[in-house]
Amino acid sequence: MSKIDFTVNAARHVVEADDDTPLLWLIRDNLALTGTKFGCGVGVCGACTVLENGKAVRACQIPASEASSRSFVTIEGLSPDVSHPCQRAWLQEEVAQCGYCQAGMIMTACGLLHENPDPSDEVIEKVMSDSVCRCGTYSRIRKAIRRAANEMRTKKP
Amino acid sequence: MITSRRAFLKTAVLSGASLVIGFDGGRLRQATAASVAGSFQPNGWVCINSDGSVVLTIGKCEMGQGVRTSLAMILAEELEANWTRIKLLQAKPSADSDLGTGGSDSMASSWKPLRQAGAAAREMLITAAATRWKVDRGSCKAVDGAVEHSASGRRLEYGSLVADAAKVQLAENPPLKNATDFKIIGHHTARIDGPEIVGGKASYGIDVKVPGMLYASLERPPFSGAKVKTLQEDKAREVSGVKSVIKLPRGIAVVANSTWGAIKGRTALAVEWSEPPNDAFDSDAHWKKLETASRETGFVTRKQEPPPGTDAITKTIEAIYYYPFYAHAPVETMNCVADVREKRCTIWAPTQAPERLQKQVAQLLGIAPADVDVNITLIGGGFGRRLGVDYAVEAADISRAAKAPIQLLWSRADDMKQGHFQAASVHYLSAGFDAKGAPVAWKHTKAGSFHNISPLDPKEMRDAAWYQDWSWGCYDVPYAFPAIQTAYVAVDLPIKHGPWRSVFAPSSVFARECFIDEVAQGQGADPLAFRLEMLKGADVIKAGSTTVDRKRLRRVLETVRDKSGWNGASISQGRGRGIACNAYFGRTYIAYVVDVSVDHENNIHVERVVGAVDCGLVVNPVGVEQQMEGGIIWGVSSALKGKITFHGGTAQQSSFADFAVARMRDTPAMEIHIVDSDAPQPFGMGEPPVPPIVPAIANAVFAATGTRIRRLPIHLGQPKSALSPNE
Repeated sequence: MSKIDFTVNAARHVVEADDDTPLLWLIRDNLALTGTKFGCGVGVCGACTVLENGKAVRACQIPASEASSRSFVTIEGLSPDVSHPCQRAWLQEEVAQCGYCQAGMIMTACGLLHENPDPSDEVIEKVMSDSVCRCGTYSRIRKAIRRAANEMRTKKP
Repeated sequence: MITSRRAFLKTAVLSGASLVIGFDGGRLRQATAASVAGSFQPNGWVCINSDGSVVLTIGKCEMGQGVRTSLAMILAEELEANWTRIKLLQAKPSADSDLGTGGSDSMASSWKPLRQAGAAAREMLITAAATRWKVDRGSCKAVDGAVEHSASGRRLEYGSLVADAAKVQLAENPPLKNATDFKIIGHHTARIDGPEIVGGKASYGIDVKVPGMLYASLERPPFSGAKVKTLQEDKAREVSGVKSVIKLPRGIAVVANSTWGAIKGRTALAVEWSEPPNDAFDSDAHWKKLETASRETGFVTRKQEPPPGTDAITKTIEAIYYYPFYAHAPVETMNCVADVREKRCTIWAPTQAPERLQKQVAQLLGIAPADVDVNITLIGGGFGRRLGVDYAVEAADISRAAKAPIQLLWSRADDMKQGHFQAASVHYLSAGFDAKGAPVAWKHTKAGSFHNISPLDPKEMRDAAWYQDWSWGCYDVPYAFPAIQTAYVAVDLPIKHGPWRSVFAPSSVFARECFIDEVAQGQGADPLAFRLEMLKGADVIKAGSTTVDRKRLRRVLETVRDKSGWNGASISQGRGRGIACNAYFGRTYIAYVVDVSVDHENNIHVERVVGAVDCGLVVNPVGVEQQMEGGIIWGVSSALKGKITFHGGTAQQSSFADFAVARMRDTPAMEIHIVDSDAPQPFGMGEPPVPPIVPAIANAVFAATGTRIRRLPIHLGQPKSALSPNE
């Protein structure tokens, strides 16, 4: 057991955990932030995606020992009132069905738009194809990302 | 909130500050001070509070089909409620409840009771207002959460009327609105739980946390009868956070104070299981059994003798279609929180079958079902998997032994290997032609297996209706062959299997809609025009308990023909166009035109899908579109991606890597057309989009390559040009 000192949604946390505990379970079990979901545990479904310095990372692939002194944003920290352009685009395009994978999808999209504010359809498809939605909401996710990208670009000076 | 549901109801009524109407079993009942103290404990009720809020119990489970939104829309329409004031409460199972969610039945079964409840409350509120104003109630109107008297310009919010309305005699058969007056039903309505979902606040089964809860992982026997050879119990106990290692008949549970502790402890157990016997279940051997069975006569589910004067068959074509095992693979794996105490138990579960769950947990614990308190959570993908309740029974068993509330979470591999799979089946089809080449006979024999998620009742009458229930899409063939024979042959299947999205229909409709293409090809006919031709004759046909309206089926076919620019099946080198259609239970009618491309390495990509749907009266158009899109992607997965195979009694796949599902890159351009319907009521949309998509893809692949697809998922193999000259 080690003391893990890390930041989530701008709040600093110190938790006791085994070094190999995935960040996913620190977030879900220790911090009780359950918006970040478990889907596969091996980094192939994207349900646990969170942001670090704006980049999308998979919380199930980051052991506690490597999480110390790093800062992450989960879906709960994206905005207090679902006002982030991606969240709003997701609502406007009526993306969600069961909704379980959507937090991961939104965080993956945020990471994509952070690195590439004007992604082509090919880039959207390539990045988003690393995530699984079993309800099949992909076409609406694609539209929502385009909408959010447009809005984020036009807002910038 | 959920545990105090009945207390809420009692308080609401006794305070005299709410109007409450129950609507169980198709009968309206009004809550009064006397009745809530006694027997008034309905599962379905609507409560209008003095603050103007409307609380509606939802008896159906939300798993992505948008049922919370669409059911609330139906109520709000008749109640003339302010849409933003509607709140939902999830109902709980009780002795006489029927909250099971499956078979795409929610809309059809909830339509009338919800409208009646909303209308009754509306009429009582109008009466209360008219009485207060001392005016004729006919001059008052309910509008947007208030009653208005336009002659005097007066207006009273519902909240200020509920105390009086609660004293008004219940209108048991209230007048319902005309469809032409609908303001909510039929209009694009945002999901009621959308903001919670995109904010990460929606609570699924896996998100439940109760005080003192421990976490469990269960190592299960990999095949029926497997015995533990060795295990490292001490090593598991050494893992930090592990509280106990519990040996149960159903497996070995590791209980810890964190999810990770339970997972790690289970890994540390390093259980070595006994070798499977030589005759352990193997899917290849099962295929052979099914294939043999498909040539037996079986139980004849429909027999239509040719009318006198039908010419004799002079030529027959036949084909065998093979349908594999599939997993459900919802992204939320199976999980359940169980808290077993002396003589009672509380469950929090993402379940589609709360009554079955309650019964089976009660049976395990030797207590009455009423002592199992079941809380239904949001479901992160149901697809029929959560009609099985195995994971809840496991959780209760572990909680009882651990003497603590526990959350059981299945790993992805558990979910893939221990599911209630979609069963494999084999279909023998033949068509007979007369001397002039006209099709005169159709035969379809399905060799499949009865579900085993709960035991079959041996005393149940196994008549044609019973067998028809196992062969949707087979016995209800809509095409006008003079002679029709469909049959079912049951083959024993010792692994767990049960409902999957669209239950029995996908395999039968795959075989039927591909073979009808073969028949059309034999006729030299256009497959779309041939289908329309074969849907002539009587508009309405009866097949067992199903009534198929060919007019509705023709209309969806004509719609995709016109909207897709159908001009024959072949498009160009490497591209093909396919068609398929289905009448789901005679309720929802869907047709697709699919364009596929096949590249030089024989990779298949679905480029475009044009779909038309008639699901009766449309409650929420966006819900219909979403289900069409989702059903198409589900079909892309089963046509082109993963399947489950068994060896040594065990499923050989364990992840999204070896049981692949469609991703964004596999997503076609989709164009959905909702067809105006003659049907006066809504029908379901969760399942019906699935069955016709796979055969439409398979028929498109045939059009592109000339290769008939009779097995799934579709693999064209190495292209000829890629083979070396020696091969």
